[in-house]
Amino acid sequence: MSIYIQSASQISMQEPLSEQWMKSPILPTVAFNSPLEPDFKRFILPAESRRMGRLLKRAVAVSLDALQKGGCEMPDAIISGTGLGCVENTEKFLNAVIDNDEECLPPTPFMQSTHNTVSSQIALKLQCHGYNSTYSHRGTSFDSALLDAVMQLQVGRISTALVGGYDEMTPAYFKMLGKLGYWRSDAESDVDSLKKSGINGSVSGGSAVSLLLANSFTENTLCHIDGAEIYSVASLQEMCDFYFEFVQKYLSQNNHVDAVMCGLSGDQENDAVYRRFVQQCCQEADVLWYKHLFGESFCASAYGIYTAACVLKDQKIPPHLFYQSPREVNVVKNILVVNHFQKSDFSLTLLSR
Amino acid sequence: MEQLIEELKREIIEVLNLEDMTPADIDENAPLFGEGLGLDSIDALELIVLMEKNYGIKLQNANEGKEIFKSVRVMAEYIQQHRTK
Repeated sequence: MSIYIQSASQISMQEPLSEQWMKSPILPTVAFNSPLEPDFKRFILPAESRRMGRLLKRAVAVSLDALQKGGCEMPDAIISGTGLGCVENTEKFLNAVIDNDEECLPPTPFMQSTHNTVSSQIALKLQCHGYNSTYSHRGTSFDSALLDAVMQLQVGRISTALVGGYDEMTPAYFKMLGKLGYWRSDAESDVDSLKKSGINGSVSGGSAVSLLLANSFTENTLCHIDGAEIYSVASLQEMCDFYFEFVQKYLSQNNHVDAVMCGLSGDQENDAVYRRFVQQCCQEADVLWYKHLFGESFCASAYGIYTAACVLKDQKIPPHLFYQSPREVNVVKNILVVNHFQKSDFSLTLLSR
Repeated sequence: MEQLIEELKREIIEVLNLEDMTPADIDENAPLFGEGLGLDSIDALELIVLMEKNYGIKLQNANEGKEIFKSVRVMAEYIQQHRTK
């Protein structure tokens, strides 16, 4: 069964609901990066909007936009990944618990603080009664959602799936993670600094990416999904073993990986894993990155898939996606998207045109 | 009473997140549920919380809400009679 990414949409620090970032990207200059938002009234009625936090509005907007671009009115499944769910509402509710001495607690932030709020809100908006699920597996939340959709498409249980990665960064959560050394200083948040080794921390971003997956090819199709897998690994050697098994399974003979889309973020510990992986497994491939355009978040890997899909559709790699100098022959037939979370959870997704 | 009605309208707009509405847009005699503002059961919960938090009124009987939440004016009259803060 062939599986395709029919359409995609994103909200991030880049121009929202647009692929303008391929030509003129907005580059980070500070560590805390707020997403640029579209006019939500295009997608959400004011009466619906009043109970939605920012993440829900973003998720609904990108979902409806992806469905519209893909010419699909009703997906068979809605599958989301989120590391923290609607954390803005969680904060509101927990602050109310403290401020009101555990009494007089507002119901709306409580209802919206659950992780599955996003998937269910999209289903309510579409009146979609199909399969609905949310994965909350830290840095592989989106990858898990994608894998679920791919497996269900493979066995023919569904023919379309709306798959998304949604997370938000609030100032309070940013501050907390900052104390744990997650972020760079503003002075070291530009792209040149992100490439410098020896510094911990990256730049933040929210996540709102929706992909429409389907089992049929159309002229608007972005790319084909050749394979997607997730592993728990204990060492680089295990990671490499899985990679070679993966390419044997999904890459046709006499073919090679043209480009590797890595979750390089500027954090030295995070980036060292990708560098070692590329060095040992796919030295011949171009190394691409995307977190300098979309920031770091639990569902940032959704932007990796999205970016690779857009590149394959366009058949051109924009210069600002190259982490290292490009190979002389810049042909891109396939892209391997690699993601890891804290060196243990590791996902591989092979896309081709 | 008129001052309390204005205060209540502002609080309702804030707690129910009625975007793009001002106190002047709310008719204090119009029904809060169904017609008028068109509020629903979750809003009713929010209003119960508002009354307890801001005015110290605990509704013991849920059926009382039907009467109290008839309109902003009826709600304000009830608050004036029963408020503890």
